[in-house]
Amino acid sequence: MKAKEGVLDLLYKVVTLELTAVHHYLLHASMCDNWGYERLQHEYHERMTEETTHVSKVIDHVLYLEGEPDVQKLGAVSSGQGVQDLFNADLKLEQEDVKLLREAIAHCAKVGDFTTRHLLEEMVVDSEEHVDWFETQLRTIKQVGLENYLGEQIKK
Amino acid sequence: MKAKEGVINLLNKILTADLTAINQYFVHGKMCENWGYERLHHTVRQRSFDEMKDAEELIEHILYLEGVPNVQRLNTVQVGETVPEQLNLDLKAEQEMLAILSEGVIHCAKVGDFTTRHMLEDMAKDVDAHIDWIETQQELIEQVGLENYLSEQIRKEG
Repeated sequence: MKAKEGVLDLLYKVVTLELTAVHHYLLHASMCDNWGYERLQHEYHERMTEETTHVSKVIDHVLYLEGEPDVQKLGAVSSGQGVQDLFNADLKLEQEDVKLLREAIAHCAKVGDFTTRHLLEEMVVDSEEHVDWFETQLRTIKQVGLENYLGEQIKK
Repeated sequence: MKAKEGVINLLNKILTADLTAINQYFVHGKMCENWGYERLHHTVRQRSFDEMKDAEELIEHILYLEGVPNVQRLNTVQVGETVPEQLNLDLKAEQEMLAILSEGVIHCAKVGDFTTRHMLEDMAKDVDAHIDWIETQQELIEQVGLENYLSEQIRKEG
């Protein structure tokens, strides 16, 4: 089925962002593992799986709309010296993701592509949950202190 | 543990090739699914997951050696427009991977890093198996013809 105007370009952008997120979480999971925070590694793994599912669904949909999925591009992947750096970088990325998805949802409604809109609406639910999770972690760190927080992350 | 000279660079090079392979296999798998070749889709997607596991192992090993894993780079993802084209491009990617891995194994032996060497040898064994599988598919296509081959890919067994 042919895509409505502008839909494929938006979906390509979504693929790039979701792929960047996969790389983010792949790296951050291993870093937490290396630091000994098994619980956080587990959390990152789960997020990576979710993002991979997103990439998978968007690529399926791009092919269905007779587009050519671009998996060559990648956004900036940030790391950091500590868990807080990772959380801040991830939060920023997820916020960008939510913004892009909302923009795409509005566009799909405008051009009358309700199938794509539906898919993106499901994805934005996950992304908003991710934003919330990172915000919660950063708030918890503020409340209980970094050492106490990290102490809780050693065991799954 | 500190890495021996050149090992981190080498591991990052392999990581880039691996990350590229993940994406290439992923797209090829999806295209096969879109064309209706469920059996190929299944196999190719599994490859993508295997490469992901390798990437993770590499990242963990780089961190263990106190290096910085580079997950920012990607080589050119070569997407084929047909099944035979995909097989050709995947074969090329796997052969390149084998070349870097062999280079890595030799280098690790030279600088005396036998843990890394062992890991790379394991990976090379997987790559060998992948190359063998692709070559078998190409041989099959030659023997039974593309149409017969593809019609066998419509259903997944089991």
